[in-house]
Amino acid sequence: MFKYILKRFVSMIITMFVIITITFLLMHSVPGGPFAAEKALPPEVEQALLEKYHLDDPLWKQYVDYVGGILRFDLGPSFKYRGLTVNELIVSGFPVSGRVGGLSILVILLIGIPLGIIAALKQNRWEDAVVRFLATLGITIPSFVLATLLLYVFSLKLDLLPSFGIESWKGYILPVVALSGYSISFVARLTRSSLLEVFRQDYMIMARAKGLSEFKILFKHGLKNALIPIVTVMGPLIAGLLTGSFVIEKIFALPGMGGHFVNGISNRDYTVIMGITVFYAGFLLIMVFIVDLIYGFLDPRIKLDNRS
Amino acid sequence: MTDTINNNTFSSDDWDNGPKEEFLKSENLAPSMTYWQDVGRRLRGNIPAMVSAAVIILLILAAVLGPSFSSHSYEDQELSFANIPPIINLYQITPGRYVYMHRNLRLIETTSGGDLIETVGMEKEDLFKKKMFYDIDGTRIILDYSQRPFKLTDVDGKPLETWKKTGPGGYLLGTDALGRDLFVRTLYGARISLLVALIATLANFLIGVIYGGIAGLAGGRTDNIMMRIVDIISTIPLTLYVILIMVVLDSGFLSIIIALGSVYWVNMARIVRGQILALKEQEFVLAARTIGTSTMRVLFQHLLPNSMGVIIVTATMLIPSAIFIESFLSFIGLGVSAPMASWGTLCSESLDSIRTFPYQLFTPALAICITMFAFNFLGDGLRDALDPKLRK
Repeated sequence: MFKYILKRFVSMIITMFVIITITFLLMHSVPGGPFAAEKALPPEVEQALLEKYHLDDPLWKQYVDYVGGILRFDLGPSFKYRGLTVNELIVSGFPVSGRVGGLSILVILLIGIPLGIIAALKQNRWEDAVVRFLATLGITIPSFVLATLLLYVFSLKLDLLPSFGIESWKGYILPVVALSGYSISFVARLTRSSLLEVFRQDYMIMARAKGLSEFKILFKHGLKNALIPIVTVMGPLIAGLLTGSFVIEKIFALPGMGGHFVNGISNRDYTVIMGITVFYAGFLLIMVFIVDLIYGFLDPRIKLDNRS
Repeated sequence: MTDTINNNTFSSDDWDNGPKEEFLKSENLAPSMTYWQDVGRRLRGNIPAMVSAAVIILLILAAVLGPSFSSHSYEDQELSFANIPPIINLYQITPGRYVYMHRNLRLIETTSGGDLIETVGMEKEDLFKKKMFYDIDGTRIILDYSQRPFKLTDVDGKPLETWKKTGPGGYLLGTDALGRDLFVRTLYGARISLLVALIATLANFLIGVIYGGIAGLAGGRTDNIMMRIVDIISTIPLTLYVILIMVVLDSGFLSIIIALGSVYWVNMARIVRGQILALKEQEFVLAARTIGTSTMRVLFQHLLPNSMGVIIVTATMLIPSAIFIESFLSFIGLGVSAPMASWGTLCSESLDSIRTFPYQLFTPALAICITMFAFNFLGDGLRDALDPKLRK
């Protein structure tokens, strides 16, 4: 088990390092440099700006500085918002994104899994058909389309919920629904198929033969095994929520990190793009690592640490 | 009988079973089918998949041929006909003169069939009473915007009656904020989406399949290194990579293609590698190797054709997410640049005026959903048809 954890940890560090390098190189290969988009600056000003941000250093030195900064959790200054650092942007944006994302995960698990269970228990009955229809719908509607439709129906037509901001709890409803729509469907589908697979196993027949109650069969023997695949998709799920938040925060005008990221992109604010990418990557890798650990504990077969 | 055998008097005719059909009839057997015929039969029996395939074919035809049937091109602007909804209310002023009242407080003269002619010039405007006065062929009408809904009245303040509801001639789905034909723009968006689908599939086949095939066949250290690269790429959401590449390349359709092509093959590579790993231990590979078949030939003639089912299903399943990534990027302003239209840009442009002109959102939104639906169902159908064991 320890060897497994160590292996996952080392591969996480290597991946992180590669991602930092790729991001750094990509952002420094942009033709024209970060100040080119603005109106032609006087050469002295440009020189001063380059010096201020150490952009006149050789590339390797900038790289070493950048990696050193990341190790000290310092992602550098923003080029466009003078006086703001990337760290400050993340500190101001992450709590908002985190709350919306966290609520979404809760909603995904609390709605997706029960829907999947109902569909599996009532296989080929109308309940199953309804869940499967909803799940297909959820998977095919892109998050930005769902978000704009929800916005149109619930805040513009029916005037029930605010169309932007999160001053009250009502403001969370639409972003969370729009963000979790796809994943609810995905989890419901996965729960259904994985539970049906488990129902076919011999130990389920055994449990029935022993005369256990249906409740015990479902929860103790069925669900416990059926949920293992759900744990493994938690990593990609969180990744999906991260990228989904780019549009959701734009549409509902939430002051979250996704919004900062998208603004950074349209402003060509390279340190912000780089910093938030590195932050996302780190966050995601840690999540995937935790999921891997949980998976390792849940599924004893993995302890032999031979994944391939 | 015994005699015949002893005398070895078989002629080649004796081995002939006679006409095949008769044999089949006598034995009550169905004609033997190849694997692909069987797949085709199963697929034809799957109604949602067939409907989806038909939808996709229609979509391709519409995207390729559709724009040429319209007199407008995707970039033709007609600012005086901006934001015209797909259904307009016509008022008859005098026989032969018809107007449409635009929500932006303009009167547009039309023919009786709804063809837009020109904006009607205003005679005068009373800014205090919030009324606009018009004079058409001596008939005076008033556009009253003092209270919602705005109405068109005669001089005595009596509201005019709608003469008929019709579509604006030439603009099947109305126009956008710059007076561009939404129908043609949506079809143009379909071109972009389908091209992206094609590129994603090509990247999957040209890079993903070969990369995965080589990794799986080579095994050992090569496999390890190649798969670590794939691991690293796939830990981070593809959208994030594509965004980074787009930032470097500047937005535009070509950049989307390069960005997608450069990272979109990793899932396929993984799946193909898994298939090859399982297949390469089988006897037919050993047999091929024994007679001295080269490694490349083993891969391309024996291993890959045998994994074709899985490859096709994966490719179909990956198409919707490629279409999604493109429209997503265009939505956040990183994708195709104006005046080109993608479903993503159409959706995001419609957001600015969603309160007043929601119809601009519905067309591209519906188009995306239908396309995603079709490819998903076709993928499901193909999976069931290619490997009935996988059916759940």
